[in-house]
Amino acid sequence: MFKELDPILHSQLRLAVVSLLIGVKEAEFTFIREKTNATAGNLSVQVQKLKDAGYIEVTKQFKDNYPQTTCKITPKGIEAFEAYVQALQQYLKVGG
Amino acid sequence: MADEKKMTEQESLDLITNMIRKAKGSYHETGIGSLLWGTVVAIASFLTYFQRTYDFNIGFDIWLIVLAAIIPQIVISVREKRSTQVKKYEDDALNTVWLVFGISIFGLNFYQSIVPGVTADIIQQEGWQMTKNYLDGSKPDEILKPFPPSFYSLFILLYAFPTLVTGIVKQFKPMLFGAIIAYGLFICSCFTRSEYDWLLGGAAAIICWFIPGIILRRKYLAQQRKHV
Repeated sequence: MFKELDPILHSQLRLAVVSLLIGVKEAEFTFIREKTNATAGNLSVQVQKLKDAGYIEVTKQFKDNYPQTTCKITPKGIEAFEAYVQALQQYLKVGG
Repeated sequence: MADEKKMTEQESLDLITNMIRKAKGSYHETGIGSLLWGTVVAIASFLTYFQRTYDFNIGFDIWLIVLAAIIPQIVISVREKRSTQVKKYEDDALNTVWLVFGISIFGLNFYQSIVPGVTADIIQQEGWQMTKNYLDGSKPDEILKPFPPSFYSLFILLYAFPTLVTGIVKQFKPMLFGAIIAYGLFICSCFTRSEYDWLLGGAAAIICWFIPGIILRRKYLAQQRKHV
């Protein structure tokens, strides 16, 4: 029986955000936007969805009088990402 | 990047690989810290060598510039922290390694300034003293203050340690090779007269920090230009 791919992660931009955050301790919103080539509006919506799912932590603060948003993956996010990659591997094994 | 585009399993895997690679190769340090320490330690080491070899004194302890360099280093660290957009897991560990290195350097300096005097007092209390005795009798005996021989060799050994850790963790070959060469210089310094240790130490500072600092700075500036 195949595991169903997590619908929260099985979306291009959300998967890109989580894949970026999995390898770093934390990253600023501007960094994620630059690496994913997403628009600020679109990224904000997807970041919010990941936050609502409990996959990432979002911290908003002021740095040099400018608002700064920092994202960090949570243990739940790491678990979900690992499960997603395992499910992918299962699909690819059968497909390949 | 579209948010709800349907992806095949292979596309998902490719996206994950691509993003992990992007995160890995994204951040370059400014290189200013490496340049600063490479410069001050090399200047202090070479000047100490020249003072000892050509018997002159500049009137103050040149190693005070190393102490003074802590102030710009704090400013650099604060600025770099502010401008950093991404924090990696290894950053905290590496910062700790460099902090421990700094404490160890001051520990060695403390040892060097305290132990000879304390040892002299102890052996005086025991009723003996160290003397320099010329085997051919050409000069009269001289009373010696105890000293750790070829002490700067230990500094060269210590210079290699955080450099090697950084080189391995960051997979930054200039520091990795710099550290290996510094270990070679340490071995050489064990066989040379102590004044040459200063020359070798200056060379170690250039190889471990100054040259990697130039390379880091170039990479950083190239990355900045890409963003303009």
